[in-house]
Amino acid sequence: MENNFLEISIYIAFGILILAFVFALIRLFKGPESSDRIVALDLIAAIVMGLILLYSLLVKREIYFDIAIIIAMISFMGTIGISIHLKKKA
Amino acid sequence: MEIIVTILILLGSLFMLVAATGVLRFSDTLSRMHATTKAPSFAMLLIVMAVTIYFSIAIVILKAILIILFVYLTAPLAAHSISKIKEHNSSEKNQT
Repeated sequence: MENNFLEISIYIAFGILILAFVFALIRLFKGPESSDRIVALDLIAAIVMGLILLYSLLVKREIYFDIAIIIAMISFMGTIGISIHLKKKA
Repeated sequence: MEIIVTILILLGSLFMLVAATGVLRFSDTLSRMHATTKAPSFAMLLIVMAVTIYFSIAIVILKAILIILFVYLTAPLAAHSISKIKEHNSSEKNQT
């Protein structure tokens, strides 16, 4: 019964995170400037990290923790790289 | 223990939803950055704490400390970089 309770709450959290993902995706498509798009992409990386951690909780395997670390590193490097490129272009 | 994990998961995803709502609804780039730099870091802290409490093995605790340190170290740097290009572009637009 307890385990079932946790599973239901994980599915509810999945729904909330997917709603947040859709909001960030709307801003990514609509954003008037490119800095808005970078902000939305940064948020999307954080949301995907949360989704992967919730999935590791759902399947009860702790090996998925490494993917979250890698996504954090790649998101940071991508943000810095795109901003340096835009600053050089402008 | 499962109750604590449940509360942490739901709070973390709600904070992520607050950040996404701020990104969607605010009117300026700097206001959007204000929404999107602090709340996702706190939400990541809550979700990582939930997973760590659920597994509670030594290697998971080590990786959790690593990921929280990394997120809290790099979120201000990324925000500073984005705000610098924003300020650079706006000052250039004012000059011409």
